[in-house]
Amino acid sequence: MTTHFITAEIDLQESPIKLQAAIEAELEKRGEPLRWAIASVDTEKQTAQVEAIVTTK
Amino acid sequence: MTYNVVLIVPTGIGAAIGGYAGDALPVARAMSQICDRLITHPNVMNGAQLYWPISNALYVEGYGLDQFAKGKWGLQPDQQNRVGLIFDRGIEPELRSRHLQVADATRATLGLNLTDYVITDQPLNVELRTADSGTSWGTIGNPDSLLRAAEKLIDETKANAIAVISRFPDDVDTTVLTDYRHGSGVDPLSGAEAVISHLIVRQFHIPAAHAPALSPLPLDPEISPRSAAEEIGYTFLPCVLVGLSRAPQFVQQPTLDSIWSNQVNALVIPATAAGGSAALSLSQQDCLIIAVEENHTLLQVPPEPLGIKAIRVNSYLEAIGVLVAHRSGINLDCFRPNLSSLQPLS
Repeated sequence: MTTHFITAEIDLQESPIKLQAAIEAELEKRGEPLRWAIASVDTEKQTAQVEAIVTTK
Repeated sequence: MTYNVVLIVPTGIGAAIGGYAGDALPVARAMSQICDRLITHPNVMNGAQLYWPISNALYVEGYGLDQFAKGKWGLQPDQQNRVGLIFDRGIEPELRSRHLQVADATRATLGLNLTDYVITDQPLNVELRTADSGTSWGTIGNPDSLLRAAEKLIDETKANAIAVISRFPDDVDTTVLTDYRHGSGVDPLSGAEAVISHLIVRQFHIPAAHAPALSPLPLDPEISPRSAAEEIGYTFLPCVLVGLSRAPQFVQQPTLDSIWSNQVNALVIPATAAGGSAALSLSQQDCLIIAVEENHTLLQVPPEPLGIKAIRVNSYLEAIGVLVAHRSGINLDCFRPNLSSLQPLS
């Protein structure tokens, strides 16, 4: 297993729960999410910048 | 009817209150007086050598807290855990001895139940990282070695909570470290610490927490009171062992007295750090979200653009007032000078 620090830009969603699902779906493309947080929000672009650690086998 | 509150101060984001050495613990102590259960996490409760036993506080590691908030895991309170210790092979013998003496002290002086310990089969090789946002993160060079050690502890000693002590690099950026010790900036270690405990909790579904092993720092007469708890000993371990000794176990199915996220009445977060998994989860329930403006952080992630409906307050003292009113079922609008009249529905 290896741990990786990654970032991702996610479109804001109509509800927090959809946003959470969108973040996890994006992170799962890059590994198994271990820890993540939204680090900033761009209200003009309607995006959230996410910082995360994912693990891969 | 019980009233349960979740208090979150995310680690590694430079929170003005709670971003240093357990300096949100007074907030937790006060908040615990006005709820039945206060669910919080090691960053709030851990003050290195210092800690405070709060009988109705649940010490829940961050990964477990996120699973709890999602409704996937419940919390089984009132535990008397057997705490096992994992030592990073990268820790020098003398530094390991300091930690073992602390562990023995908690057995002899506090009566904690600790198991024999395991040394990882490889150095964990913790690497610290600062993200573009300025928050602290980290990666682990040998996570499999950590997980093998945990498995051995659980299998051979029946430990049901795990404290990890790993060697953290001494070559932290001097400016960053000085800022932290002086009560500004970000804890450069805490992001990596969270990664270590998350790995254990994700894999084994038992409580875990981390203490970094570091060479002693030279005396600095300008240390901030908020960071000073880390200056009074050789280790950061006592608070971790005390917290884990009573940490709730995670359960996958409801039990007689387990606590689940739908029993959370309120969540308190810093107003600029609403973008964590637990906040997103709890905002979808019948849960009052209180955003504390005075606890500024490096982040600029307010609740509103995420779709989280929150009550903004200036301070934790005000948050406690809101919790008291909410618990009592008192309309919060009554506390403002202008109260509009009822109107007919259109």
